[in-house]
Amino acid sequence: MTTDPSLVLRTYADAAHTAYETLTALDQLSGDGDFGDNLCEGLDRVTGALDAHPDEPPYTVAAAVFLDEVGGTSGPLIGLLFQELARAHAASPGEDAWLTGVREGLAAIQRVGEAEPGDRTMVDALAPARDALQSGADARDVAVAALDGARSTAALRARRGRASYVGERAVGHPDPGALGVALLFWSRARADGRAPGDLTDHLPALPNEAPPN
Amino acid sequence: MNRLFLPSEQPVEEALSGLALAHPGLLTLHEDPLYVTARERHPGRRVGLVSGGGSGHEPLHTGFVGAGMLDAAAPGRVFASPHNRQIYEASKAVAGPAGVLHVVKNYTGDRINFGIAAERLRADGIPVARVLVDDDLATESEETATGRRGTGATVIVEKLLGAAADAGAGLDELAELGARVAAASRSVAVAGRAQTSPARGGEAFPLPAGTLEYGVGIHGERAATTVEHPGFEQLVDRMTHQVADALPATARSVLLLVNGLGATTLLELYAVHARVSRLLGERGLDVAGRLVGSYVPALDMSGFSLTLTALDDDWAAHWHAPARTVAFPAQEAVR
Repeated sequence: MTTDPSLVLRTYADAAHTAYETLTALDQLSGDGDFGDNLCEGLDRVTGALDAHPDEPPYTVAAAVFLDEVGGTSGPLIGLLFQELARAHAASPGEDAWLTGVREGLAAIQRVGEAEPGDRTMVDALAPARDALQSGADARDVAVAALDGARSTAALRARRGRASYVGERAVGHPDPGALGVALLFWSRARADGRAPGDLTDHLPALPNEAPPN
Repeated sequence: MNRLFLPSEQPVEEALSGLALAHPGLLTLHEDPLYVTARERHPGRRVGLVSGGGSGHEPLHTGFVGAGMLDAAAPGRVFASPHNRQIYEASKAVAGPAGVLHVVKNYTGDRINFGIAAERLRADGIPVARVLVDDDLATESEETATGRRGTGATVIVEKLLGAAADAGAGLDELAELGARVAAASRSVAVAGRAQTSPARGGEAFPLPAGTLEYGVGIHGERAATTVEHPGFEQLVDRMTHQVADALPATARSVLLLVNGLGATTLLELYAVHARVSRLLGERGLDVAGRLVGSYVPALDMSGFSLTLTALDDDWAAHWHAPARTVAFPAQEAVR
């Protein structure tokens, strides 16, 4: 029996708002600072659409919002993850749907973004989550794997994505896209009643360096 | 004061509606999301051809939508990639029974947005493939993972693929042909004055009198090197030989594009063309087809680019096959 998709998405929206300042501060180090806004606005639109269309498959609703309406490149890439979660849940709505959806979503994101693990992108949260799912880990351990993966990007220098233009300056702080995606796995565990502690315990310290320009 | 005569609100939407109004027999405008489709299509075509990219390079790509070339084009804002939804909807509108082929200039934003659209099309069960155009010699470097930029050769790729699609080629065949044409094409560009920055109104970058930006891009990015103007003859010689040297040594016959970057007159472009033609003749290269004009400009940049494509097989026939678009000129039979 898989976790209620609608509850996962609503929990994700709350988590994104909790992490908003952190995501924004991290994105100001390496990007244009709008990732927190894009993620929160996108998820608010998703919860609004879920209210308006309670009979639609929730991940299909989320995919349409993130692919069609969310700005930047990270938003539509997260939309591809939702698209594959939607396909997997439609095909077989068991726990396997998460393994299939994350595996296929990661594959699509890698085909599009041409990023490998270690390139300091959302792939660094998704690949450990996929591996954990593959080894049969429960929602809690999958969330820990994703959050650890996101945190590990603090030691990495970007080779892909916009952060590649600023190089060393973002090193020491995790990639906002990786953290933003890891929140989805924390939210799934939370919706399952198996969250690995409070979300705030998992958020990195706010960078105190002044943002560029 | 901004030198560009553009409305402050939605300049791309306004321009596209003006284009469609001017050519109601050729183009259909779709406003939300924004793209144009061709009104005519060869009955033999099994694959829809779709391109797109930042605006400011007109007539690319919308001017090459029509029978014999593209089935649809999705324009982004000035120098910015179109949204994946524009590409996705345009592709769905024109996909043939054998799918849809994307012609993409090699820029990170375009690669990602066309890539996202391709994933969505695949999820819908529509076969999709991509041709990446990467002809700009100035960005050839072992050090960067991003590769050469896509510039003038895009017009050549779109024309040859259009003719092959009309002949009934399938998706894989077209993707393979497009990759070969891109691989056989090289360009270099030079600017004597930057384009106007659409946001600020002034020149996008300063260039002292008597100097040239050699290897300039088409999005307002500077070249790696600023050089003293060596004079007309030496400049044209250097560019011609640089591009011709980059072609396969076996090349005998070429397509030539002498492309204005926006503010360069036809008087200048024809003079460049005359000298390039002479130089190519001296090198023993036969020019099987040519275009002279501003086909891939960078807004109102002053400058020009040269593109050569080494011809293979029946590519010359594809070049001369009929096309009815806003901007591609009728090709006179050679000799």
